[in-house]
Amino acid sequence: MRVIIHDLDKSYDELLKGKCDLTIMADGEYAPCQGCFDCWLKTPAKCKIKDKLVEVCRIVGKADEIVIVTRNFYGTYSPEIKNIIDRSIGISTTFSTYRKGQMHHVSRYGWHSLLMIVSYGEHSEEEKATFMHIAERNALNHSFKNTKNVFIASKDELLEVIA
Amino acid sequence: MTTVFINASPKKKLGASEYLLKVQRLFVRAKKIKEKLMTKADHSRILEKLKDADSVVFSLPLYVDGIPSHVLEFMEKMELFCKEHGISLKVYAISNGGFIEGKQNKGVLDVFKNFCLRSGNEWGGGIGVGGGVMLHVMRLVLRLQIVLLLARVLYNGIFNDDWLPTKAINRFVVSVLVILFFNLGVFLFMHLLGRAITKGMAVKNKYTRIMIPSFIFIPIAATFFFVFSIIKGGIFKGWLRKK
Repeated sequence: MRVIIHDLDKSYDELLKGKCDLTIMADGEYAPCQGCFDCWLKTPAKCKIKDKLVEVCRIVGKADEIVIVTRNFYGTYSPEIKNIIDRSIGISTTFSTYRKGQMHHVSRYGWHSLLMIVSYGEHSEEEKATFMHIAERNALNHSFKNTKNVFIASKDELLEVIA
Repeated sequence: MTTVFINASPKKKLGASEYLLKVQRLFVRAKKIKEKLMTKADHSRILEKLKDADSVVFSLPLYVDGIPSHVLEFMEKMELFCKEHGISLKVYAISNGGFIEGKQNKGVLDVFKNFCLRSGNEWGGGIGVGGGVMLHVMRLVLRLQIVLLLARVLYNGIFNDDWLPTKAINRFVVSVLVILFFNLGVFLFMHLLGRAITKGMAVKNKYTRIMIPSFIFIPIAATFFFVFSIIKGGIFKGWLRKK
């Protein structure tokens, strides 16, 4: 399953629907993660906050390929996108393992094939380097075999870079 | 010099970010203003405090290799506010993660640096702390031990007329020394960062951790989660299964 998470409007959502099995529109109409760990300790892979992200990690967890479309935000995800990522930690279990010599969580859903991040807007070289570092870390932490960063100046180029 | 210390943990109290910020404040000699960033409702109050400040120190938890979303929201507002009011501050950050390697906080500090470049502020450097949650739990254990020691002193004093129970005091001193040892890296780098904040200087990012080998840390963390999963009931609800 291919899932596209994006922070664009409904018109883009319609266009992106043709490129994947499911889209998640990051409109910011949901609460931020409270760091309670209930999605590990109390209701596995389910958030205690009863809004539209309550089961988002079950969707993200089952995706083989995740494409994230985000405005460039100092070399990381926009707050609307990051909120979804923060609320998705239930895709891992509480247990830890070593990956590349560092501590990481064991995946609940096994390995995913690709984490692709398309960031749009103006990017400095430092921001590009930061985003590539964060993508690599996210892939390692959330069990993605491959990562790909694509930097585009405008969201108008979006449909050209997402096959 | 005025420094605003922002605890950016979404937890109301007793978070690792709060603990680390408390320690950092000890090493800074300046007018210190404490702030708490949890929701959007805190934004305008904190921004007003920045008007008269020289520097700001963020203490925040590492969320999925990066900055929690509610802090990113604030940074965007802060960029606009600083540009609108011609404010340029020295920005410092202390990021703590549950994983033991402090280096895993690199992404957070890099994003803060990028933020400074865009917002007209000046990056002063930061510290990435590994095992922040466990350091915080140690603090709670120390508090419990102080209570137990006082109870033991009172009990022995009243019932045995011994107001100086040497064994209990020795055990307590050893515990304090062990906890201090676990915090050594944090204390050292916070001393250096504190000196930089006091002088308004920039320093290189530093990474440290709880002073325990990871092969000991990981089983302790697993036991902690196992016990809390029993208490909270998750272990009986398909704890590790696909959902």
